[in-house]
Amino acid sequence: MPLFDDEFRKKLEYLSIISKRVFAGHFRAERRATRRGTGVEFADYRQYVPGDDFRHLDWKAYLRLNKLILRLFEEEEDLPIYFFIDSSQSMTYGNPVKLDYARRVAAALAYIGLANLDRAYMAVYAEKIRAELPPQRGKGRIFKVFRFLEDVTAGGETNARESFKTYCTDARRRGLAVVISDFMDPAGFQAGLDILRHFRHDIFVIHVASHEEVEPVLKGELVLVDSESNVSREITVTPALLTDYRTEFKHYCDEFEAYCSKYQLGYVRTVTDFPFEDLVLKVFRQGRFLK
Amino acid sequence: MIFLALSPFAVTMLAVFTTLALVAMYFLRLRHRRMMIASSMLWNRVLQRQEERSLWEKLRRILSVILAVIIGLLMVFAVARPEIAALTGSTGRTMIVMDTSPSMQARMSDGRTRWQHAVDMANTLVDSSGSGTEFRIVDTSGQYDSAYTSDAGEAKQAIRALRPMAAPPRFPESEDSSTQTWFISDGVAIPAVPQSARKLLVYEPVRNFAITAFEVRSMASAPLQYEAYVEVSNFGNDARRTTINISEGGPGRIRREVEIQSRQSYRETFDLSKFDGGGIRATIQTDGDALATDDIAYTYLPLKKKTKVLLVTKGNAYLQTALRLDSFVDLSVADPKDYREDPANDAYVFDDFAPAIQPSKPALIVGIQNGVPNVSWLPVPNGTVEKPTFSKWDDNHPVMKYLSLHDVSIAKAAAIDPSNVTVLAASGETPLIAASPVPGAGARWVLLTFNLQSSDFPVHESFPLFVDNALAWFGRERLALRRTTGVVEVPIVNAQITGPDGKAVSSRAYLDRTVFEARDPGLYVAIKDGQRQYIAVNLMNRQYSNVNHPVLNWGSEIKPAARFLKHEVWFYLLFAAVLLLGLEWFTYHRRITL
Repeated sequence: MPLFDDEFRKKLEYLSIISKRVFAGHFRAERRATRRGTGVEFADYRQYVPGDDFRHLDWKAYLRLNKLILRLFEEEEDLPIYFFIDSSQSMTYGNPVKLDYARRVAAALAYIGLANLDRAYMAVYAEKIRAELPPQRGKGRIFKVFRFLEDVTAGGETNARESFKTYCTDARRRGLAVVISDFMDPAGFQAGLDILRHFRHDIFVIHVASHEEVEPVLKGELVLVDSESNVSREITVTPALLTDYRTEFKHYCDEFEAYCSKYQLGYVRTVTDFPFEDLVLKVFRQGRFLK
Repeated sequence: MIFLALSPFAVTMLAVFTTLALVAMYFLRLRHRRMMIASSMLWNRVLQRQEERSLWEKLRRILSVILAVIIGLLMVFAVARPEIAALTGSTGRTMIVMDTSPSMQARMSDGRTRWQHAVDMANTLVDSSGSGTEFRIVDTSGQYDSAYTSDAGEAKQAIRALRPMAAPPRFPESEDSSTQTWFISDGVAIPAVPQSARKLLVYEPVRNFAITAFEVRSMASAPLQYEAYVEVSNFGNDARRTTINISEGGPGRIRREVEIQSRQSYRETFDLSKFDGGGIRATIQTDGDALATDDIAYTYLPLKKKTKVLLVTKGNAYLQTALRLDSFVDLSVADPKDYREDPANDAYVFDDFAPAIQPSKPALIVGIQNGVPNVSWLPVPNGTVEKPTFSKWDDNHPVMKYLSLHDVSIAKAAAIDPSNVTVLAASGETPLIAASPVPGAGARWVLLTFNLQSSDFPVHESFPLFVDNALAWFGRERLALRRTTGVVEVPIVNAQITGPDGKAVSSRAYLDRTVFEARDPGLYVAIKDGQRQYIAVNLMNRQYSNVNHPVLNWGSEIKPAARFLKHEVWFYLLFAAVLLLGLEWFTYHRRITL
């Protein structure tokens, strides 16, 4: 089953991923870089120094000022985009399943990145990095991304901190890190994100929740079993308890949002029964993640 | 607190078992359903916060157990039927003895009778007793003795059914010593009361005038003239005037106004010569009289009429003399040849003679063995018995009243078949005096199976009495029997009783008497075989009328203990259990408890 259809894919081609920061790329691309180079966008002037490419001398300025002034152009490079997809056991819940939803979001964003000649890195994590896709560039590589995402299987506990730490210490270049997860990390949502912040990535968080997590439909005497840790706990579900849970969930989300706001991280929360296309085409654009 | 249904040990064991069972069941009940969730991270936070939040959260888990145990224990105690005397009164057997003597009808200063106060007191006693109390309602007149009942309504109904009436007071015996006995009385006419009985007094001094004697009797000088003897007593504590009235249905009226000192009586004999006869009534009218029952008295004045008797004989000096000396008899004599039935005659006396056709009026037939032809309405002689002697006679029959026949000698008598006659006197061989057998089959007759000439019976003192008894039995009016209100016995077998209002009164027939209940004073009539016997039922009892003379001084009145709860404790325990059950159900389903 394709992650999305051709019509939606065409719509994606008009979008590009926004990064709040400007990172150094590897290859020439359509994204402005910090370096001055051979791009077409004028950036600045400076005094000519021996060794400069005199093809960029501004002869009109020389005639007026009798000085050799060099015109600088912005270098256009690609953007490294790291997609971190949570594949822990908790992602198998929801209707549709959170992991499927995350896959489609990742695929869509990856396609946008590839279409803009950005380099897309894919990493699937749970208690550790379970699978990763080498950097892909160009629209033609989207099918490889699809295959990678389709092969993702869920399992294990969430440990974002260790996963991200392992991934980032492998001399990665800084770039845009897109984390798609339900953030049911026993260590807390900050643990993993702090690592990404430490490596100075521009972070965009997509918090995927299922409807059952937002509005649990539980009743009576229950033994709740954690799907990741298999730890069970007896509860008697009362209306008051459900209210408390909802309050707690909201508090958790607010706390998450406040954290992201504090560190200028992009944050979008969605539930799996929210239409995926609307999320990509509307919410991400409104959230200034896409343009 | 005591338990009526179970022993304390059984209650304890049951309570322990119930508690353990409920706690065990409670834990069985907590078998939870497993449910996988994505992550328990948030749930753990919620639960941790909840547990930290308040003591209530910790307590409410155990609240269900506590509620269940309380409900179970309430049910156990309900089954054990506890009794807390302070709340429900004491439970047990209670016998309430109501004094139903006529003095209880005395009206008190508040306008209500002592009886009404006694009924109120008895009802209060029932209400204030333990709800499981078994009541037995008894009176002192022997008219009512209920079975033990724990139904307060039934006990009150029994109390309502009682009424004061004149009867020899007797105190009922209780079955066992554990029965608590209450005696409610005015203390005036009471039987011997056991020491153990608790007494409730309904007494207040009142005024009372009473007719303590009222009777009619013949004047010695003129047997057909009557006089009435009246005695009126003042049982009050002050002298007062009263008006005595004697009246009848006819023109006879006597009125006398007298003043009677306290504790004194007024007696007078009144000439009733101006009275026609029939029922007469004596009443007294006094201001502020408390007891009305003894203010009226009835009796019967026989009609002043001689019995017209035709003696049919060839000559019998004994009979003629006996009949002529009878002041109630208007005698005429005829020879058997001249006998013709005359409607003007009230009775016939046949001497050695019997007409072929039975006369329409009663007849005394003396001697059938000498020349009396066989007649269909009399027994046929089937021989003679030589020198029979009276071996037995029926004293209870009106004809044989006051007769002594021990030494009567008879030369010979006719032998008759005793099966078709009422034998009044007989020798070993044959009836000697017989009476008509079947009531209603013609006029009455009395037959002597022996001739007066062949016996010394005419010279015995019993002979004129016999003749007078026979003529009286034939229909002469008699003075009324005097009885007091209550259970009345009449020495007439199987008589039909008519009350003062002319309606039949239910009666019970015994071997030698008829018994009925006369609740109110009045002139009752016992009718048997067309004969009427008047019964003057009056209170006329000094003991009952002496309402200011309590036999016992009981001191202060004993008030029955009040109770706070109407029903037994088990009822409230069960009610509380049901209430708590509902509460537990509600709180459980609302998740207030777990």
